[in-house]
Amino acid sequence: MSTTNTHLHIDGISKSFGDVQALKNVDLKIKRGSFVCLLGPSGCGKTTLLRIIAGFEAASSGRLMLDGADITLMPPHKRGFGMVFQSLALFPHMTVAQNIAYGLKLRKVSRAEQGRRVEELLNVIELPDIADRPVSALSGGQRQRVAIARALAIQPPLFLLDEPLSALDAKLRDNMQIELRQLQQKFGVTTILVTHDQHEAMMLADELVVLKDGEVFQAAAPSTVYQNPADSFVADFLGAANIAPAVVSSPGHITLMGQEIALDPVHAVGTKLNAAIRAEHIRMMPLAEANGLTVGTVTFLRDLGPATELIVTVESQNLRVRCDNASVPDLAINSQVALKFDGSRVSLFQS
Amino acid sequence: MRVGLLPSENSSYRIIIWFLAIVGILVSSLPVIVVTLMSFSASSNTGFPPSEFSLRWYSEVIAMFTQEDASSAQSVVDSTVTSLLVAVLVMAISTLVCIPLAYALARGERRIREGMELLFTLPLVFPLVILGIAFLLIAESLRLEIGIWRIVIPHVALVIPFVLRNCIGAMQGISVETEEAAISLGASPLRAIWDVVIPLMRAGILAGLIFALIISFNEFTITFFMYTIDVSTLPIWMYSRTVSSLDPSTLALSVFIIFADVVLIVLVDKLIAGRANLF
Repeated sequence: MSTTNTHLHIDGISKSFGDVQALKNVDLKIKRGSFVCLLGPSGCGKTTLLRIIAGFEAASSGRLMLDGADITLMPPHKRGFGMVFQSLALFPHMTVAQNIAYGLKLRKVSRAEQGRRVEELLNVIELPDIADRPVSALSGGQRQRVAIARALAIQPPLFLLDEPLSALDAKLRDNMQIELRQLQQKFGVTTILVTHDQHEAMMLADELVVLKDGEVFQAAAPSTVYQNPADSFVADFLGAANIAPAVVSSPGHITLMGQEIALDPVHAVGTKLNAAIRAEHIRMMPLAEANGLTVGTVTFLRDLGPATELIVTVESQNLRVRCDNASVPDLAINSQVALKFDGSRVSLFQS
Repeated sequence: MRVGLLPSENSSYRIIIWFLAIVGILVSSLPVIVVTLMSFSASSNTGFPPSEFSLRWYSEVIAMFTQEDASSAQSVVDSTVTSLLVAVLVMAISTLVCIPLAYALARGERRIREGMELLFTLPLVFPLVILGIAFLLIAESLRLEIGIWRIVIPHVALVIPFVLRNCIGAMQGISVETEEAAISLGASPLRAIWDVVIPLMRAGILAGLIFALIISFNEFTITFFMYTIDVSTLPIWMYSRTVSSLDPSTLALSVFIIFADVVLIVLVDKLIAGRANLF
């Protein structure tokens, strides 16, 4: 990666709150114009990292480099990063237009220009007629869009979002994710979004940064993180992955739940490993072809419409399985099924 | 149909609630009713209820204000002006002190906030008479000619707990994120307070202002120790008119004051808040 392509360099940032280390030597290079999602469970330090980038929190050590310039000690109001907060934090005593124009007013933009920009942004967020409404009169989705417009009005070099969609209901959230992604591409602004929702992160991100206990576990494109998770935590966190112990049985083969799988592990024979396999990468086979496969009992069954999700218990281990409805006739609770693992989709980690 | 607190059926429960409500209203408004009725009395003694009604005490009050009264040491006009001036100074000082204080306490550590609140509430639990003596001792030992501040300073001490509580209450409704949003858009921390925090605190500040006004304007006990021949307030003047024999014109005057208080409260409320939000 060339240095000119790196917009923000998070250079070895650590943060401690008393004895608690919230961030441990986080090192990330964020590309210009990219959409980065910081993903992790609550308490993983993702919000702390975002607040350090915004300048509301000081790092204990490390540097922040924006376009090669050190901004570690720059106060937040001088950074000019647009931020959307979890609570949205719209100004309740101002109208929609006053909210959006606030940053421009601070920059001493002329009134006429302010009005023009507000109108332009309201058109972009497809709410042209609400300029004079108080923010208390808006619906959840409208507030969301106004908060985004307010942050983008100042044409920020960095656009920061702290779980902005978490308060919306599922359908609206889906729509907003698409809109947010389209807006980001339209403005071409480098964007960092914090979320604990893996689906949201997959939907939005160019680059996914998975954090746990203040450490970056993996930073890569969403498809890479999904297909080749760096470890069992990432695999588990990215949803619906089954983690099971496996052993290297012979060079080029592992044994996973009694099933011999052709793989090319670099580990020595006899090494105990953890294998992660996603629910949709387990195939259901008729019991007649069970030879060499894993056999288990269906203990949970739910038709989700396009697919069926089941839990198959194999020797007290529960496996989540998802399959097309067409491929599984006559499934019932307590029936025996044979499972075939797709060897190319199994990820192995040191246990 | 709504299910109310009051059962629609006649029951002893319903009667008790009505009884309590009426007793409450009577107790709190009885003095106002009695004073107002007696101020319209035609006789010069203060028997209740008045046998005849007239406006003679009202014309006497108006005469007191319009004609120079050389006989009394401190005229009612001077006392009224002093009272108003004290009240305005107390309102201004207590608000200027309490807004930053409330901000710091609400944003700071919880333990410190509770300790400080307790500290500023001390003047309220102190017996007022002793507080008056204490302020008098301080003022006399300093031997300073501080004029009206003799009264303003104790009033500020008395008013601050009320103003502070209102301001802290208002602060607690303002999330840090709202302030940070302003900062992220380019406002300096001070500018963010001015643009976002103060406007959102407005209702609480207003309630504090009204408390300050009412408490200062009606304060008697401490002022009784602190007043001098040159600096005296309206409650002191009224007391001096009634201490030997009750002068019904003071009753008429107090009706004026009640009326003026109400007008002032409504006015301040409309001017600053835009909408009523006193309690």
